[in-house]
Amino acid sequence: MDDIYLITILSNIGMISFIALSAYLLLVVGEISFGQQAFFAVSAYGSGIATAMWGWPIWLGLLWGALVAGAAALVVAIPTVRLRGLYFSVATLAFAEMVRLIFEIFTYQVEIDGELVGPDGSDGFRDIRAIYDSNVSAFEYMLIIYGLLAVVLIGFLILERSRLGAIFRMIGEDPMLTEMQGLNVTKYKILAVVMAGIVAGIGGALYAHLATYVEPKIFNVMLGVHALAYGLIGGLGTAFGPLIGVAIDIGLLESIRAISGYRMIVFGGLVAVLLIVRPRGLLDEAAMHWLRGRWRGLIRAEN
Amino acid sequence: MLEIDGIAAAYGNIEALRGVDLLVEEGGITCLLGPNGAGKTTLMMTIAGILKPRRGTISFLDRNITGMTPSGVVRRGIALVPENRLVFPDMNVHENLVAGAYLRLGKRKSQVQQDIDHVFERFPRLQERSKQMAGTLSGGEQQMLAVARALMARPKLLMMDEPSLGLAPLVVEEIFRIISDLNADGTTIFLVEQNAHMALQVADHFFLLEQGQVTFSGKPGQLSEHEVIQRAYLGKGPQRNQPAADQGRPDRTTLPSG
Amino acid sequence: MVDFIQNCLDGIMLGSSYALLAIGFTLIFGVMRRLNLSYGPSIMVGAFVGTLVYLEFKANAVAIAAATVVGAVIVGIYVERLCFRAIRRGAAVASMVSSFVIWMQLEEIVTVVFPDRTYFFPPMVTADPIDLGPFFFKVENIVMFAVAAVMTVLLHWLLQYTRFGLALRAVSENPRAALFMGINVGAVMFLAFVIASAFGGVAAYLIVSADGQITPLFGLWATFKGLIAMMLGGMGSIPGAILGGLLLGVVEAQSIWYLGTEYRDLSAYFLLFLFLVFRPGGLMGQLAVERELAATRRV
Ligand SMILES: Nc1ncnc2c1ncn2[C@@H]1O[C@H](COP(=O)(O)OP(=O)(O)OP(=O)(O)O)[C@@H](O)[C@H]1O
Ligand SMILES: [Mg+2]
Repeated sequence: MDDIYLITILSNIGMISFIALSAYLLLVVGEISFGQQAFFAVSAYGSGIATAMWGWPIWLGLLWGALVAGAAALVVAIPTVRLRGLYFSVATLAFAEMVRLIFEIFTYQVEIDGELVGPDGSDGFRDIRAIYDSNVSAFEYMLIIYGLLAVVLIGFLILERSRLGAIFRMIGEDPMLTEMQGLNVTKYKILAVVMAGIVAGIGGALYAHLATYVEPKIFNVMLGVHALAYGLIGGLGTAFGPLIGVAIDIGLLESIRAISGYRMIVFGGLVAVLLIVRPRGLLDEAAMHWLRGRWRGLIRAEN
Repeated sequence: MLEIDGIAAAYGNIEALRGVDLLVEEGGITCLLGPNGAGKTTLMMTIAGILKPRRGTISFLDRNITGMTPSGVVRRGIALVPENRLVFPDMNVHENLVAGAYLRLGKRKSQVQQDIDHVFERFPRLQERSKQMAGTLSGGEQQMLAVARALMARPKLLMMDEPSLGLAPLVVEEIFRIISDLNADGTTIFLVEQNAHMALQVADHFFLLEQGQVTFSGKPGQLSEHEVIQRAYLGKGPQRNQPAADQGRPDRTTLPSG
Repeated sequence: MVDFIQNCLDGIMLGSSYALLAIGFTLIFGVMRRLNLSYGPSIMVGAFVGTLVYLEFKANAVAIAAATVVGAVIVGIYVERLCFRAIRRGAAVASMVSSFVIWMQLEEIVTVVFPDRTYFFPPMVTADPIDLGPFFFKVENIVMFAVAAVMTVLLHWLLQYTRFGLALRAVSENPRAALFMGINVGAVMFLAFVIASAFGGVAAYLIVSADGQITPLFGLWATFKGLIAMMLGGMGSIPGAILGGLLLGVVEAQSIWYLGTEYRDLSAYFLLFLFLVFRPGGLMGQLAVERELAATRRV
C-alpha cells in the first residue's frame, strides 16, 4: 500500500519534472513563459487520441504527443518570438488559456466496443487505458517515466556544455550582444521554444496515460506558473535545479503529513525567504561554479 | 568645499574605487578625468548618496555627509547632472524642471516658479519647448534640460557627469559656455569629462582617476595636454600595474523584467 | 442593434471594474517594473475580511466596503515588503515567483479560516433595474461605473496636480533620476502599492457584492482580468488601463450574447493574443514600445 503511494508520488515528480524543465529552458534564453501547460495539454490529448481512439501502440502515442506539442510550440513561437519580457509572458499565457478553453468545447468521439471514446469538452477525455490494456504495472511505468526523464536530462547536460547551450545562455544574458555577434537570435529562440514544447509534451503524454483521464481544467495557468517556480526554487544554474524544485514541493512537503492542509502556508513562506537570500534559486550560477570547482578539486586529489 | 578622504566603493566583489582622496575648492571648476571604467561615475554616485562607500569619508562645507541618503545630499546643496542625462521622457520640459525642485515643492511653491523663470532666461531654447515631452528633445536640448533641472535644486555644488557625451562639437562648445557662465554666477562645479581638451580649458584644477585611484592632481598646464589625453583616454598612467580596466558592465544577474 | 448597444452598455459597466483592477496593476508595474501576481489574491483576502465583518457583526455596506479595502491594503503591504522590497533590484523574476508562492500561501490561509470556500457576500444595494427606453441598467452596475469614474478622476488629480503624483511619475519613468531629485524612491514605491491595493479593494468590493458571493478563486480571476486589461490598454499607461478594462468588458459582453458563455474568456484571450502579436503596445502604449525599441536599436 505504501509502495503504491511512493510510486505515485515518484511518478508525479517525474512527470512534473518535464514541464519544469521546459519552463527552465526558456528561462535560460531569458524568457518567462506562463504557458508551458499548453504543450503538456496538447500532448496529453494528442497521445491519448492516438492510443485510445486510433489504437496506436503506447510508444508511438508518446512520440506523437511530443511531436504535436513541438508543432504547437512552433505555431506559437513564430508570431511571439520577437516579443520580450512581459509581452512574451502574457502572449504565452493567452495562448495557453486559448488552448485550455478550446479543449473545454472540443468534442471528438468514436464508438469503440459499444462505448463512446474521446475528448468530450469540459467533461474531459476518459479511458486512456493503453498501459492497463498492455499490462504495464505502475512500477514499470514509473521506470519508463524515469528512463525518459534521464534521457531528457542527459540531453540538457549535453546541451549545457555545447555551443548551442552557450548561445542560449548568451541570448538570456544579452540578446542585443548576441545579435551583434552575428547570431540569429530569432532562429535560436524559436528553436528553444520548440525544444521546450517537446519536453513539456513528453510529460503530458506520460501524464495522460498514467491518469487515464484528462480534463481541460487540469491545464490551467497554475500548472504553468508552478513549473516556472520550480526552476527558480531549485536554481537557474543547472538543469537539476527544476528537478530539485519539484522534489521539494511534491516529494518532501507532500509527504510530511504534519503540515498537510498547511503545506502552502509553510512552503510559500519558505520560498519567499529563499528568494530574498538567493534570487536565482538554490543552485544558481555561482553555486554551480563553486560546486564544479570543488568537484574538480576532488578529482585532482584522487589522482 | 567638498572633501573626499580615502573613499573605497565596490559592486559585489568588483572594487571600483580604491581609496580616493580629492578636494573641490569653493567657487571654482574642478575637473575629473579618466579612462572608461576608472570609477568616475561610481565616485559621483557615492557622493550623491546612491552608493554606500566601504571606507572613507565625504564632507561638504565641513559637515560629514558620508552615507547620507540621496535626498539628504540634495538638501545640503549638491545636485547631479547624471551620465546620459536621464531626463523624464514622458514629462514635458516644465514638469521636468518642477521635479528638479522636488524637495522645495512642499513649502516654497512660488519660489519654484520664479526659479523656473530664471532658468528659462538662461535657456531660452527650453522655454520655447516648455510643453514638449522631454523624450522628444534633441540630445543637446536634453542635456540642457538635465543641467536646468539640476539647477532647480538651487545647488551650491553642481556635479556633472560627462555632459558632452554624444553631442556634436558645436553643441559641446555651447555646453561648456554654459558651464563657465554658471560658474561665473557663483556655482561651484565638479565636472567629470572624457573631452580632456575642452575640460582643461575651463578647469581651475583637475584630477586624474585611473583604476579607482587618483593618480594626478594639479592645475591645467602642469601636465601636457598630450599626456593628460593619453592617460584620460587610454589609461596609460605611469603607475599602471594591471591590464586596462574592464569596460564591460557585468549586470548578469537579471532576466528581462517580468 | 438594440442588443448590441445594450451589450456595450453592460460591457462598459462590467469593464469599469476591470479598469480599476488594471489601474492597480499599472501603478505597481509602473513604479516597480515587476509583475505582482499576488495582486488579485491580496484583494481576495480583503473581500474575505469584508465577509468576516459581515458574518461577525452583520455590518452595513459601508463598513464591509471599508473592511475590504483595509484588508486588501494590509495584505498588499505584506506582499510589498516580502516579495518586492526585500528582493534586490534587478531580480524581477524572483519577485514575480515570490509573489506567486505568496499567492498560494494566501489562498491556503483563506481556505483554512473559511473552510466552506464559497460564502455569501451581501449586495451593496437592493433595487430593481432601471429602464431607459429600450435599455435597462442594474443599479449595482451603475454604482460600479460611477465609483470607478470618481476613483479615476481622483487618481488623475493625484498624479497630475500633487507633489506625490509628480514623484510617482518620476519614479515610474526613471527611478535612478528620481533619486537624484531627492525623491525617496522606496517610499514612493510603497505608497504606490498602498494606493493600488486600495483601488483593488474598491474593485473587489464592487465586483463581489454585485456577484453576491466570494470564493478563493476570485484571486486568480482578478489577477488575470487586471493583467489582460492592462496589456490590452498598453502596459504602464493609466488611460490605457481604463480603455483596456472597458474594451475587455465590452468584448466579453458581446461574446456572451452572440457566441455563448463558454466563449467569454476565449474571445478575450484571442483578442489579447492578436494585440500582443500585432500591436504589443495595446491601445495606448504603442509610443512607449516604439521608444523602447528605438532605444535598443541605438545602443
Ligand atoms: N552596476 C554595476 N555593477 C557592477 N559593476 C559596475 C557597475 N557599475 C560600474 N561597475 C564597474 O565599476 C567600474 C567603474 O565604473 P564607472 O561607471 O564608475 O566608470 P567610469 O569612470 O564612469 O567610466 P565611463 O567613462 O565609461 O563612464 C567599472 O569596472 C565597471 O565595470
Ligand atoms: Mg561614467
